[in-house]
Amino acid sequence: MSIPIMPVYVDVKLREVQESGRLDYRSRSLPTWCPGCGYFAIVEGMTHACNEMGIPRDQAVVVSGIGCSSRFPFFVDLYGVHTLHGRALPVATGIKTANDRLTVIAVGGDGDGFAIGGGHISHAAKRNVDITYLLFDNGIYGLTKGQTSPLSAVGLKTTTTPFENPERPLNPLMMLLSYGASWVGQAYAGRPDHLREMITQAIAHRGFSYLHILSPCVTFDKTSKTYVNLGLQTRDLPESHDPGDLMAAMHQAQDLDHPALGLYYQQFRPTLGDTFEQVIAKSGGSSS
Amino acid sequence: MNATDIQIAICGSAGDGTIAAGDILRNAVAAAGYRVICFDVYPPEIRGFGKCISRLRITTEQSYSLKRQSDVLVSLDDSHTIPHAGEVRDNGAVIFESQPISPCAEGEHMSGHVLPGQIPYGFPIRELAQKATGGARSRNLVVLGFIAGLLGLAPASFQKIIEKKFAKQGPKVVARNQAGFQAGFDAGKGSFKLDDAAFGPFEKPASAGKVIMLSGNAAVVQGCIDAELATFFGYPITPATTIMERLATELPKRGHRLLQTEDEISAMAATVGAGFAGARAATATSGPGLALMAEMLGLATITETPCVIFVSQRGGPSTGMPTKTEQSDLNAALYGSPGDAQRIVIAPTNVEGCYRCAGKAFEMAERYQTPVIVLLDLYLSNRYETVTLAASGPPFVLDANKPLRRLEPGEVYKRYALTADGVSPRAVPGDAGCMHVITGLEHNELGRPNDSAEMHTAMSRKRHDKLQAALEHPDFAVTKRFGNTGRVKVGILAWGSTFGECLEAMFMAQAEGIVCSAMKVVMLSPFPTKAISAFMDDCDAVLVPEVNYEGQFAQLVQGVLARPVVRLSRVPSSPMPVELILGEIRRLSGVTASAIAS
Repeated sequence: MSIPIMPVYVDVKLREVQESGRLDYRSRSLPTWCPGCGYFAIVEGMTHACNEMGIPRDQAVVVSGIGCSSRFPFFVDLYGVHTLHGRALPVATGIKTANDRLTVIAVGGDGDGFAIGGGHISHAAKRNVDITYLLFDNGIYGLTKGQTSPLSAVGLKTTTTPFENPERPLNPLMMLLSYGASWVGQAYAGRPDHLREMITQAIAHRGFSYLHILSPCVTFDKTSKTYVNLGLQTRDLPESHDPGDLMAAMHQAQDLDHPALGLYYQQFRPTLGDTFEQVIAKSGGSSS
Repeated sequence: MNATDIQIAICGSAGDGTIAAGDILRNAVAAAGYRVICFDVYPPEIRGFGKCISRLRITTEQSYSLKRQSDVLVSLDDSHTIPHAGEVRDNGAVIFESQPISPCAEGEHMSGHVLPGQIPYGFPIRELAQKATGGARSRNLVVLGFIAGLLGLAPASFQKIIEKKFAKQGPKVVARNQAGFQAGFDAGKGSFKLDDAAFGPFEKPASAGKVIMLSGNAAVVQGCIDAELATFFGYPITPATTIMERLATELPKRGHRLLQTEDEISAMAATVGAGFAGARAATATSGPGLALMAEMLGLATITETPCVIFVSQRGGPSTGMPTKTEQSDLNAALYGSPGDAQRIVIAPTNVEGCYRCAGKAFEMAERYQTPVIVLLDLYLSNRYETVTLAASGPPFVLDANKPLRRLEPGEVYKRYALTADGVSPRAVPGDAGCMHVITGLEHNELGRPNDSAEMHTAMSRKRHDKLQAALEHPDFAVTKRFGNTGRVKVGILAWGSTFGECLEAMFMAQAEGIVCSAMKVVMLSPFPTKAISAFMDDCDAVLVPEVNYEGQFAQLVQGVLARPVVRLSRVPSSPMPVELILGEIRRLSGVTASAIAS
């Protein structure tokens, strides 16, 4: 992390943001998140990515589940579906099946993705649906006011684990790597420049891209995934890391104490849309 | 020309070729121009020694159900067939193996169970098969030939169907099976004549359309294809699976897409997603799958997303009886979701209805922006009927969406604009400038979360009121009355597959001089209050037969209209017996058993 030497002035920064054009991707609704929430950086990152890539606003759909993170679609000016708890991925799969030309981005929290919706991730990854899945990991259920999640650390005190969370958390990157996700990366809301770069890459990837975003819950977690802790714990993937090497990616993913940020793994293989076209060709039909 | 009405039942053990024989028979007689209803019963196990029965009713005019008593019963396995001896009418034929391969213990041979009045036709089935084909595997074809010979059916159409069915296995297999059929045919023709059950000379009637043989599920598929279904998502479950299996072959040929999802939750979720993206989308399931889809159905309701769900009911609750028919998912179809479950539920009553309801469901889903459940059951899904397809082409509207107006400069698109008919013009991703978010949260006209009492009331009313127009949906019979007009002693009110049995019972009652009529109710939600109320005004008594224990449809009628009905709720694991309905009609009309006997 580089520390800026030049001072940053508000008016200069504002002008820069306004002129970038990325505010066009923001909706007129103010985010409902707590001040200091890491998710603000994710909205910024996504509007930046869409702007950089020149994605037409009416050609993109953001699909979410239920939770703090899942209010996301309301804060960007794209098409959106705020679905049910845990069901963002199958809805996104349906959208992409109906219309390949759309850019489809699924968003959700760690409870939404790995508890109630855990059964869908493996299948979206296996099918290589050409969508992007941004997983906001704050390690807690925020919208229901602080219960334990499948990614909560051992020992975390929450309203449902008043005597400390006894269960060890899942290792989501290991899961995604073994499910066959064709793009797996990790970012941290406390490093917004890196985050927006990762979001851009994830959306640009042709196939199922999974970006795990570590993001503090400033209201309900004062001890575990805080800005201070994550700032000290996170590290960059070594420069020598080869994203084509699945075993090296898994090796890096083992380190939960010092989560590494960056692109773990990337692979190019036919997407679900490609396989649909293959089936149509084999049946002797032609695409409509 | 006398009207033909012959019912044949073939009974055997899994592996005897019972269902295959029924398949050849129904296709051969349909090719000859007869109308057919056929229903197979088989065990849930693929292998083993479970009982298979194929029942076919062959008529010159379309009939509405199977008869309780068959004219001919064929045994390919005596141990399974013996309990069914009683279902053959007086002077009907029982066909069985006269030379069992091993000695039979007392009471284990069919010949000992033929009832007085029934005509026994024992002949050496196995021996004939062996002589003609060199093996015993074509026993089923030998008996088919015997039936054809006995009843005077021309062998040509059978030979053609046999050739088609076995073509893949090579000319040797075709020849072997044809030889088996011929041997049976000669034996049947040479046997003594069966009185008053024969196919007379029959001229194929000129038809206004194309007559094809379809199962209920195949008719659903045909309806989907003719309505240009673009995406289908499903998860295998008896008895709905064959819908997905057929579509898996048919959709890609037309450039369309089918995905087998990881469960019913995702099947429904993807269907909603595809519907939101503007494609015609559907899924198919049975009761247990419907339960998993319930939450997502609520999302389709509140987001006003068009989608179609085919539900073929089977015995419940829970896993229940996967290969037995029942009509017990009505409540789940009507109400199964959190909150007020505004949706359209339609239930065809025969195979042709499966075709029409399937195609019309997509029209309704688009026009009223709602999930549409098409409620079938195993009896309807698996039974075969001859269906006439209109020569003028599919009777379906291929785009029933309300036109979307171009936005004025600076105008914000309102996805849920409150309109006079409750339907808001719908933009889909890709429509310029109409970006919006749909949500399972209660929302305002823009689609933004809003839980004020006024907004929740307005939106609830919108979702409710817009569906009422479906009761007048163009070119769709929401209810239909049959039988006597005006005042009647007994009115039968029925839905789904049971209506066929009701109609047969009504005709039998009319023949006995009872003034009665029957109304089929195809649309179950929104409820056709006016039509049903008017019908009930005409009836001294209203009988509601249905295949479930709790009388779910009767509850619905009584709940909406607050008028009494007589329930006939039974769970026989099979279609409702016509005689049971007839008995109730007699009882309600005040006819005593002695009066009928005299």
